Amino acid sequence: MTQNEKAAAAKKRKHAIMIVLLVIVFILFIAPFILVLINVFKDQADITANPLSLVGEHGFTTKNFPDAMAKMDFFNVFKNSLIITTCATILTILVSAMASFVIVRNGKWKACSALFALMIASMVIPFQVLMVPLVSVYGGVFGILNSRLTLILMHTGFSVSMATFMFHGAIHSNIPLELEEAALIDGCTRWQTFWKIVFPLLKPTVATVAIIDAMAFWNDYLLPSLVLTDKEIYTIPIATQAFYGTYSTDIGLVMAALLLAMLPILILYLFLQKYIVAGVTAGAVKG
Amino acid sequence: MASLSLKHIEKIYENGYHAVHDFNLEVEDKEFIIFVGPSGCGKSTTLRMIAGLEDISEGEFLIDGVKMNDVEPKDRDIAMVFQSYALYPHMTVRDNMGFALKLRNVPKEEIDKKVDEVAKILDLEKLLDRKPKALSGGQRQRVAMGRAIVRNPKVFLMDEPLSNLDAKLRVQMRTEIAKLHERLGTTIIYVTHDQTEAMTLGTRIVVMKDGIVQQINTPEHLYNKPCNLFVAGFIGSPQMNFLDAVVEVKGNDAFLHIGDDVLKMPADKAKILKDGGYDGKTVVFGIRPEHFGDGRGQEGKQNTLKCKVEVRELLGAEVFLYGDINGKQCTARVDPEVDLVNGMEATYSVDMRKIQLFDKETEKSLLWAV
Repeated sequence: MTQNEKAAAAKKRKHAIMIVLLVIVFILFIAPFILVLINVFKDQADITANPLSLVGEHGFTTKNFPDAMAKMDFFNVFKNSLIITTCATILTILVSAMASFVIVRNGKWKACSALFALMIASMVIPFQVLMVPLVSVYGGVFGILNSRLTLILMHTGFSVSMATFMFHGAIHSNIPLELEEAALIDGCTRWQTFWKIVFPLLKPTVATVAIIDAMAFWNDYLLPSLVLTDKEIYTIPIATQAFYGTYSTDIGLVMAALLLAMLPILILYLFLQKYIVAGVTAGAVKG
Repeated sequence: MASLSLKHIEKIYENGYHAVHDFNLEVEDKEFIIFVGPSGCGKSTTLRMIAGLEDISEGEFLIDGVKMNDVEPKDRDIAMVFQSYALYPHMTVRDNMGFALKLRNVPKEEIDKKVDEVAKILDLEKLLDRKPKALSGGQRQRVAMGRAIVRNPKVFLMDEPLSNLDAKLRVQMRTEIAKLHERLGTTIIYVTHDQTEAMTLGTRIVVMKDGIVQQINTPEHLYNKPCNLFVAGFIGSPQMNFLDAVVEVKGNDAFLHIGDDVLKMPADKAKILKDGGYDGKTVVFGIRPEHFGDGRGQEGKQNTLKCKVEVRELLGAEVFLYGDINGKQCTARVDPEVDLVNGMEATYSVDMRKIQLFDKETEKSLLWAV
């Protein structure tokens, strides 16, 4: 065997190992989703008897969906989740895009650098450290817990640093200053320059931030569970609590609720997928 | 269209860097002014101060007699073509060209009409619905020009608009710009480091170095009567040859000694050398490559320079001979029929009417003032 053949064989082996590893990781990631999918169309008895069978002894059923929707007051909690996620995501994108534009284009201002450093520093503080003071200050001192607006502002506050960091990178490396200068000469004010020229060019980053934050807000359990106490304003993750009884849990209903909770964010991801890849790799190579 | 006035303009950055020193210029209506100089000479900074993209540290800038120092770029009624074209990537060619008019709330029909007119002039009609990424460099350049023309501004500013194009396209676009200037009759200020562009386009050229204006005049004047060594060397391609020469004054005559060669000065130049007290001093002798004779059959004649030919470059209609005169590299532009080849000894006759003389210390011309 020549040196070249040996190298080719080693490369092939390495490739095969990589594929096997990827398949294992893929199965680990997809397994819970598959479990939800195959059990959502079975009744409680079939799920308990054999959770891995594709069809249960009692056959295919869609009964779990209406039952779950009724029990968790689906349309109301869906509305709450939608309002909170949409508002918090839009607010995060607007605030962080504008903030990062000011920070990038006024790099010489010490206040901007300090603010940006502070934002980066805040990203390393775990939420668990803040949650008790947060509840005691906003609940005990201000008494503004149990409101959708409070949750929206809190979500925005916690996610703005990361989003600003991402927009900062995108503006810094992908928006040439000359474009803004051309806009100024064409007759734009600074405000118009941002909205008519800079913001449209941030589309990939907007999509990335939108999907990351929307996913986080939609799926978040901890913060809403601390802020929302009134059933009327529960979000979907909090509402799924209803299925976990002290003595029994109807797994079929849980599966249906989980699938209903997952679907909107999955659809959003599929829509924005191409922008997300562009957003993540933006600025990596010279265009 | 408009006249511009720049009075004692200074640009000092926050870090103390003095980019532009005491810049003075009066631009008449419909003039094509070129700012030329090497990188970092302050030409783009001056243009950006005119555009309002840089603050003016000191001095006054006026358009049609109105002080513009603190006026926002959008209110100066200027248009600018950038080196990178700065086309808005998310807009079509039509939207790019009509953007400024849209901001001024011009009715859509009127915008479309103006864009179509300009697109016709610039041969962009078929590209109006494309985005900039689907255009070639030359097409982008034309769109950038179109965006400026559509606005019909008082002044056009162009910051090295051709530097990103290949050599052939650059020549083509250069002629296009010259034609446009004639057709539109606009005041244009054009920045370049390419002296060919400067010579071919400008009605007047501003030569800059280290933030200081060296000379402002017509291309012909700068070429024939450079006020200092820098302008003489910068304007003209290949550049002027410079040789150290020792002056000898005898009565009313003056001679330059360059190595073993002696050049007899014409009466006017001899008088300048005599009156200036240059007898026995070293001056810088300058001669353009085309002002050498063809180097054949000149042996023993007056006003000749001996040169050892090192490289012969045939460019078709002319030949450049690179060689050594008294230890200095020199270039001669001769007829292709001249049979001098590498390694041969040439004796160039010198057109004494066309020579330049510079003070070795101050580098100023002994023959011409600014």
